[in-house]
Amino acid sequence: MTQNIFRSIFRRYIVITPILLVLIVAQMEEYSQLTTSGTFGAAIRLAIPIMLAGLGGLYSEKTGVVNIGLEGMMIMGTWFGAWGGFTFGAWQGVFIGMLGGALFGLIHAIATVSFQVDHIVSGVAINILAAGVARFLNVIAFEDIAFASSTASPRITGDIGKLTVPYLAGGQINGEETSNLFGYIEELNIFLVSDFAGLVLGFLSNISHLTIFALAIVPLSVFVLWNTPIGLQMRSVGEYPTGSESLGVNVYLMKYIGVTISGALSGLAGAYLVIAGTGIYLEGQTGGRGFIGLASMLFGNYKPFGILMGSGLFGFADALQLRSPKAVHGLLVIIAIFLFVLALKTLFEKKYIPSLISLVLSSGFLIWFLNSESIPNQFVYFTPHITTLIVLSFSNQRIKLPEKIGVPYKKGELN
Amino acid sequence: MNLAINTKNISKSYPGVLANSNVSVQIEKSSIHAIVGENGAGKSTLMKILYGMTKPDQGEIEVFNQSASMSSPKEAINLGIGMVHQHFMLAKNLTVLENIILGIDKPSIKNLGLKKYKKLIEEVMSTYSLDIDLDMFVEDLSVGEKQRVEIIKVLFRGAKILILDEPTAVLVPQEVNELFKNLNNLKQNSVTIIFISHKLDEVLEIADDISVMRAGELIDSVKNENVSKTELAEMMIGKSLPTPPPRSTETKQNKIIDIKSITSESVDGRKFFTDVSFSVFESEILGIAGVEGNGQKEVVESIIGIQNIESGEIFFNGENINNKTTRQRLESGISFIPEDRQLQAMIMDMNLTNNVIIGRQNIEKYKSNLATVKTKNAIKESENVISLFDVKTPNTNTLATALSGGNQQKFVVGRELEDNPSLLIASQPTRGIDIGAQSLIWEKLRQSRDNGLAVLLISADLEELIGLSDRIIVFYQGSTVKELSSDDVSPEDLGGYMTGLKK
Repeated sequence: MTQNIFRSIFRRYIVITPILLVLIVAQMEEYSQLTTSGTFGAAIRLAIPIMLAGLGGLYSEKTGVVNIGLEGMMIMGTWFGAWGGFTFGAWQGVFIGMLGGALFGLIHAIATVSFQVDHIVSGVAINILAAGVARFLNVIAFEDIAFASSTASPRITGDIGKLTVPYLAGGQINGEETSNLFGYIEELNIFLVSDFAGLVLGFLSNISHLTIFALAIVPLSVFVLWNTPIGLQMRSVGEYPTGSESLGVNVYLMKYIGVTISGALSGLAGAYLVIAGTGIYLEGQTGGRGFIGLASMLFGNYKPFGILMGSGLFGFADALQLRSPKAVHGLLVIIAIFLFVLALKTLFEKKYIPSLISLVLSSGFLIWFLNSESIPNQFVYFTPHITTLIVLSFSNQRIKLPEKIGVPYKKGELN
Repeated sequence: MNLAINTKNISKSYPGVLANSNVSVQIEKSSIHAIVGENGAGKSTLMKILYGMTKPDQGEIEVFNQSASMSSPKEAINLGIGMVHQHFMLAKNLTVLENIILGIDKPSIKNLGLKKYKKLIEEVMSTYSLDIDLDMFVEDLSVGEKQRVEIIKVLFRGAKILILDEPTAVLVPQEVNELFKNLNNLKQNSVTIIFISHKLDEVLEIADDISVMRAGELIDSVKNENVSKTELAEMMIGKSLPTPPPRSTETKQNKIIDIKSITSESVDGRKFFTDVSFSVFESEILGIAGVEGNGQKEVVESIIGIQNIESGEIFFNGENINNKTTRQRLESGISFIPEDRQLQAMIMDMNLTNNVIIGRQNIEKYKSNLATVKTKNAIKESENVISLFDVKTPNTNTLATALSGGNQQKFVVGRELEDNPSLLIASQPTRGIDIGAQSLIWEKLRQSRDNGLAVLLISADLEELIGLSDRIIVFYQGSTVKELSSDDVSPEDLGGYMTGLKK
């Protein structure tokens, strides 16, 4: 029993080691920003759009359609979200943003499923089209409105609302302040306990209602995809459409549903950027988050909670970069130790060359850490991407791709 | 007599082929009924009709004494007919349980009820004494286990009649025994089993009744007790054979290819062939007879170097070619017509000119001084092939996929004969093509043989084999069991050796 626990912990070293390292490094005064509630709160806000895009990718790819158009669908989400938010109000904006994304999802489905266009070609076309359409619509819709330009929309009306849990995180009840239990613990500065309190506080205080809505989609997706008849049919279509068809599954319909949901979730991701973030649509606002969502889907090995983890990691690195460039310096030692652990592991597996490379890189990072006070700003901005890249390339897990992903399916044809 | 299935005068024709002609077969309830026949005898068509995948042109089907007309597999399933395909219809990354219940519920958002289904399936499994771990991923199952999943899948849907399409083709012997045990269990639980096969030993071991098909017709249905393997082989292969046209030239004495006791086994230790020796002389066609899967395909592949051999030597024109690469072998004068033209012989999305150069881009004719191909020569070459072999195509720029099967095959044969090879390996050179193309290819093969070419011919079509070959060697279970002269071989003899009846 205990042996099993140890074994499963060891197998998840890729997740556990960095977390432990972060906790340890955060004990140093100068790097304490690593685990404050502020950092975690920002991390969540930054992670949600990526997570939603990743979930969008999941629905599409599980039905066998590669969706590289997530970015474009997200752009539609930002614009339609802003337009809806400006015209009708915040929640209506969320809904209209989802519709905008879903519309482009539908276009992708029509192209790839009905007309058998290559999935990558269609996805690239969606990305290019969406950028153009968003600008076009922006110019038309906000022509004579103050504070709008060709690349920006006016501010949305209304507010999505925020929640701070009373008693635990100091939220208000009937206008009265309550105790802030986790805030208190965080300030005590106890090893691990305070860090953990910071994490919980990040989830409990000042959290947008839209964030709660988005987080609820994670367990919902697990339920829909793995525990309902429609989810089973959707997954089977990505695995073996010919077999599914022979059992009476409507392959085309399932693919359409998957890709359209994919568009809707990407649209939600875009709307989140606008409505829970900037409050206005800006051109280029998505900044490649759709692609990073795709990466988080791979990192999460096509599992909703894995996607949550992957996007959380990126969000954390992004938050750190924004809030405390100094703490980023602490990441260097974390990377160095992590690579050292990896070097030892590969050495035990008798893979000498990867081991040697890890060791060299590890000492490189350590030397850098010891000989510098801070990291150049240019590198700081780059932190989230490099972190994602390092973790992705070293995670070395067996990714379970759907069997027939990217393969066009024609009814009645054996393949 | 209590019948599960009764067909009356079923006929089905495809363009150019009469796949089933007046087939009337009675299948008794709770029995194992085998349908045997050579490849292309019409077994599969009959099964597709019974499973609702195709509609017969005429004829009636009765299922459990009720007239039935099925237009889709779903209707067949509702009538209690289930089919286990030779290629399993299973999704690898889903669990066994998910594969079994897929498609039973309408696509709705409610709880799947995995626990409920698990209990129901376990009941079915214990009724029929079948056993499998429902929570495993299909990916991790052995071939035999996957087959069991397919059987459970159709039984769970209420099938009372089970069609098994060549179920033993993919199994190793132990798994075959396990399958037969399971099938007998099913029979005792009043399931009717239709067992399609061309392996006579297995059929005689498991079946109660045996129906033999040949060239689209049902030759006879017999009880297992009343028939011998020889009689079955005779019915299966038929007696009539065309008289081969007399040849005017003589076989020369020098050996073109000389194979000395080669042996090969697969990665998991199964033997492909053991201790095979034979040689082909100049100006001779050597036929290889054998039921599919007895090692002849692998032997041929080892000659051109696709298949590795563990021991033995191959001499080509007196030179040991064991260590030569496939390209070196092809360039030294071996030509190869693979058995699957669409998968191995041509690239379907390339035009004919490109298809003529494939694999030959290094020979003098096509090589220019730069690292490019002399397209002009290639076009001339493909025009040459087109006119010599009467390939019906608008021009050399046509994609291979636009040609009919017969024209594709003529083009392949023409291409392979073009560079005056000294050995041609022809694997199923006329499979599935029309009669016109077939006789043209036969004629060309004879001509080239008379001009000195050595041909190694592998064919499932015994008429073709006996008609074309000068000598025939028979493969059985990975060894050559007999060498015959085609002048005095009877098809019964050949069938006997092929099925291991005669030695």
